Amino acid sequence: MRKSALAGWLLLAPSLALLGGLVLFPILYNAWLSLFDKHAFLPVQSFVGLKHYVYFAHDEEFWNSFRHGLIYAAATLVLQLAVGIPAALLLNEGFRGRNLLRGVVLFPYVIPTIVAIILWKWLLNDSYGLVNHWLVAGRVTDAPVAWLGKDWIMTSLVITSVWQFFPFVVVTYLARLQTIAPELYEAATVDGAGAGRRFLHVTLPQTASVLFVIVLLRSIWMFTKFDTVWLMAGDGGVSRYIRTLPVYAYARSFTYLQAGMGAALAVIMFLILILATAAYFRVFRHEALS
Amino acid sequence: MSTRHRARRLGLYAGAVVLALVGAFPLFWMLSTSLKPSGEIFATPPGLIPTRPTLDNFWRLFTETSFLTYFRNSATVALTAVLLTLAVSSLGAYGLTRFSFRGRDQVAGLILTTYMFAPVMIIIPFYILVKQLGLVNTHLALVLSYTTFCLPFCLWLLRAFFQSIPLELEEAALVDGAGRGRAVWHVVLPLALPGLIATAIFTFILAYNDFLFSMVLITSEELKTLPVGVNDLFNATIVDWGMIMAAGVMITAPAVVFFAAVQRYLVQGWGAGGVKG
Repeated sequence: MRKSALAGWLLLAPSLALLGGLVLFPILYNAWLSLFDKHAFLPVQSFVGLKHYVYFAHDEEFWNSFRHGLIYAAATLVLQLAVGIPAALLLNEGFRGRNLLRGVVLFPYVIPTIVAIILWKWLLNDSYGLVNHWLVAGRVTDAPVAWLGKDWIMTSLVITSVWQFFPFVVVTYLARLQTIAPELYEAATVDGAGAGRRFLHVTLPQTASVLFVIVLLRSIWMFTKFDTVWLMAGDGGVSRYIRTLPVYAYARSFTYLQAGMGAALAVIMFLILILATAAYFRVFRHEALS
Repeated sequence: MSTRHRARRLGLYAGAVVLALVGAFPLFWMLSTSLKPSGEIFATPPGLIPTRPTLDNFWRLFTETSFLTYFRNSATVALTAVLLTLAVSSLGAYGLTRFSFRGRDQVAGLILTTYMFAPVMIIIPFYILVKQLGLVNTHLALVLSYTTFCLPFCLWLLRAFFQSIPLELEEAALVDGAGRGRAVWHVVLPLALPGLIATAIFTFILAYNDFLFSMVLITSEELKTLPVGVNDLFNATIVDWGMIMAAGVMITAPAVVFFAAVQRYLVQGWGAGGVKG
């Protein structure tokens, strides 16, 4: 028994060393760092207590970033569900080429973010982009739309992100759909339920718990998304119209070199996520338990 | 009934075509642009298929930029991270499932909690730590980052796979005189193969895709990986769209090939725990 415990710990040691050293320690160090004025590269620091937190409470840029983050997370979440769930329902039906299509749908999720970004910047290019060409040729708009200008950049970011991440919803939802017992549908059909009512009374209740997880994970991941948002506009020009909290935290640390302030923003993000997750579990207690 | 049936099939195929276009058309457009001479790229109306296809854009990409260096760096770092993650997480998952010790389930729970932290939320202390260790601007720093951030998912995934393998099979091998190492190698690992493959895919995608760690931890041109290198190319001067699309095609190809080769194993792994991103 003692020997077995030792062996167990030894086998886990490399994992625990990496996670402890490179995740848990930085988390604690980050909280500590948020109480200091610290230069990002130079070894200069002085204790300032909660000064950064007080500062952000009155910082317009902070509230803008927070608002952008909420808009971005909410819009992309709703659209990912709106595209992903019907797609999963479709891919659960039997038709020729279904397996191929299941693979094709995963493409956007598998390709690196940088590819999704350059691809959509090209499609949405104001002078030579295919989207504008179609919009003008189809007389939807009179003049090309400045998709990457300040008025439309958030829309473009949302479109790109939904395209990139909806396959996650498809795969996860489809995995659950495939395990619903066919008898449930047969019984509903015998009772005279049409497709719409079968969805409402069989599919939806059966998939409530997986939807609970999908909404939770995708919200957290969209709220903390860095690379897609950053690559869309960098940190100059129109970037301030889509700047979310992760990007703001990055800019504080590595552009303004105020590591303490960046760390404080990370702590704030973490607290927001904890509170939101707790509230979410409270509201959807039923789904969480099933 | 039969007209309703036919309408239903028509609807299904219409939906399937739309979905296929959503998934694949942007990638098709990237490929098409990358094969066009510059006159065609900016033509109105834009042609869907290049009339005079050329590899000129790829040639410029390979000869006038550091693309091939980025490519080699990305491949090296991603594959090393895959091997290291496979080794570390198999050992860990085996320890979690085959040995009982106090606090085992708490450790497993704690490991899962670390999965909740997005890299961007600890990138500042992470950078300072890596700097203290003298690992800034090394590929080792990237490999360790990717391995660490893949571990929670991979440990849980492999734990589920190892749990599903009956102990009796392993014991039978031990009774037959095999050492524990051989029993694991010949009995446990082959049965957990779908899990190992899912682990490999997950790690490869995360490492190959990463932008944040690479941007923060790597400073010299010759060590940059694809996402940062190509973003630099994109921001450098007037955008050479043909060449940038060629870069996109080159980045996508290995990811799609890798993925297609092992996709049939993936559904199981995906169902077991979701993929982060």
